[in-house]
Amino acid sequence: MADFTLQGSKVLAVRMGGDSVKAKNGAMVAYDGQMAFKRLSGGGEGIRGMVTRRLAGESMTMMEVKGTGTCYFADRASEINLVQLGGEKLWVEASNLLCTDGGLRTGTAFTGLRGASQGNGLFTTTLEGAGTAAIMSDGPAVVLRVAPGMPLTVDPGAYVAHTGNLTQQFQSGVNFRTVIGEGGGEAFQIRFEGDGLVYVQPSERNTIGGDV
Amino acid sequence: MPFTQVNSKVVQAKIQAGQRLYSQRGAMLAYSGAVSFTPDLAGGQGGIGGMIGRRVANEATPLMTVEGDGTVMFGHGGHHIEVIELSGETLYVEADRLLAFDGQLRQGTMFMGQQGGVMGMVRGQVTGQGLFTTTLAGNGAAAVMAHGGVLALPVTPQSPVHVDPQAYVAHRGELQNKLTTALGWREMVGRGSGEGFQLELTGSGTVYVQASEEKL
Amino acid sequence: MTPPVSAPVIHDVNTLPSGDNVNPYAFSVDVQGQWFLQKGKMIAYYGQLSFDGVGHGRFDRLLAGSFHSPMHAADWVVAEGSGKMLLADRSFDINSYDLDDGNLTIRSGNLLAYEPGLALKQSIIPGFLTLIGTGKFVAASNGPVIFAEPPIRVDPEALVGWADCPSPCHHYDHQYLRGVLGGVRRLTGLGGASGEEHQYEFVGAGTVLLQSSEQVMAARPTGATPGQQGVPRQRGGVGGLLDM
Repeated sequence: MADFTLQGSKVLAVRMGGDSVKAKNGAMVAYDGQMAFKRLSGGGEGIRGMVTRRLAGESMTMMEVKGTGTCYFADRASEINLVQLGGEKLWVEASNLLCTDGGLRTGTAFTGLRGASQGNGLFTTTLEGAGTAAIMSDGPAVVLRVAPGMPLTVDPGAYVAHTGNLTQQFQSGVNFRTVIGEGGGEAFQIRFEGDGLVYVQPSERNTIGGDV
Repeated sequence: MPFTQVNSKVVQAKIQAGQRLYSQRGAMLAYSGAVSFTPDLAGGQGGIGGMIGRRVANEATPLMTVEGDGTVMFGHGGHHIEVIELSGETLYVEADRLLAFDGQLRQGTMFMGQQGGVMGMVRGQVTGQGLFTTTLAGNGAAAVMAHGGVLALPVTPQSPVHVDPQAYVAHRGELQNKLTTALGWREMVGRGSGEGFQLELTGSGTVYVQASEEKL
Repeated sequence: MTPPVSAPVIHDVNTLPSGDNVNPYAFSVDVQGQWFLQKGKMIAYYGQLSFDGVGHGRFDRLLAGSFHSPMHAADWVVAEGSGKMLLADRSFDINSYDLDDGNLTIRSGNLLAYEPGLALKQSIIPGFLTLIGTGKFVAASNGPVIFAEPPIRVDPEALVGWADCPSPCHHYDHQYLRGVLGGVRRLTGLGGASGEEHQYEFVGAGTVLLQSSEQVMAARPTGATPGQQGVPRQRGGVGGLLDM
């Protein structure tokens, strides 16, 4: 299996011995040894996956990198977080996915109201199997546990990924209404309940749901 | 060495009378003591010829001369800064990535046909512009900017390194470079675009790569 | 073979710090009561918290004590209840500062949140806010904050704020402005400016806060001042020394 290590916090080094990884299209910054690159249509799971993805509107353009040597990946100075999967499922925003072990299955999942609130990407990317995934965040991600009796509320613009058995609910965030009826817009939040982990980034740059 | 790293985005330089530094214009954050900042009419040491050379080369990054007796802090755009020390070697770097450098270093511009014009080579080949790159030689230090951190990759005769030109920052040592493309890469990123190429660096030295494909 | 990957630190409501950084870019506040925060800076929270714009009527008494910048009320939110809240701002560096019966003046765009023990007032320097009293506040900067002591001259764009020392004055490099080079520049248009002809000069005892970049954090409106004699005019919109 390919060996994932971080060089600093913004460059991922993947050592390969003839095996392959899937990576964000064009995110290679350097390599030594011999590498071959192949565009993956629809995330690499054939026509059905491609069609699903089209419908899902998740523009996940991935490539397969196969070879012998070390390949370095980075994307717009984003912080890189390694997630070790031992059979469980990871939900991640497609734009936050940098690289995964070739053996992890990728798919799409319906995310319900949160997607609806953002107006784009009703579906999210899922990864399943055993292996390593490298996910990106704007600033190092903070990993927050959700447990029964300990729900977590997150700004949609700060949400990166989650694992475990969680339900998500979309709720109104800030009340900007004033006594004199002056409106300041509305903001939305996502509430997670159940048992699992949520990755949030220290940035709300892409908030479409509104300011909190 | 005149530069001390204050944090990953700021370097501090101590200057004494008789010494001088060059820095990118506007990159001074604060200073104490009697220090003067003069726009560099001659584009550094190259004289007027050097300046014209730069204009033509599209490498006319405005510099200023920093002289006096005191302490100056430099930083620019929140970019990460890497201090590279030279002892007799030559550093090849794009002019717009140079934050500040020791006045003792000899500046030059290198025509792309020779070793060194790395970005120029790519741009020249693909877009027909920018055929020069800056060289610094001698003993001293240079503060170089990069988007995200900098990764220094050693190149040895046994292991050449391929670099995405967009992520290339600088290099030093006895390196030869040529444009190559990996199997499948051009098909993937699109034929005819500059991104279809990689730089293959062979020989012995170090290549500096940033954690981003974005230009500064 | 599974390669070793160091397990990430997992936080929950109990392990998150109280009034401290989680990492250089995220700050955890233990809210027991009320906190003021700039709109859009809360990224996640545990517990029972509600968020209301400061214009909300039931905060009248709180505002009278802690909020004195009437015109930018729309940009501030009061978090109320009990829980732990994470603050962040575009992955900029975040620091907290404790004032003990003190005062600190800060660029409006850098201030993220503060507790009601502090009072927020407009500085007479346009684009800056002054915090007075005892309590904690949280501020963002482009790169780590550097603490410097006067005498020092600072690029206006790198200035985050200052504490205890007198307000700065303008410093111009007269040698440059009037010297031979200035003449050449006027005659030929050659040479341009070094970009460093103008700084803020701090003297006296105190602390000056610098950020690691000359990239200014987007200013937040600090509000207009009453148009009366003796009050330096400030623009009602986005304030800042730079647009003077």
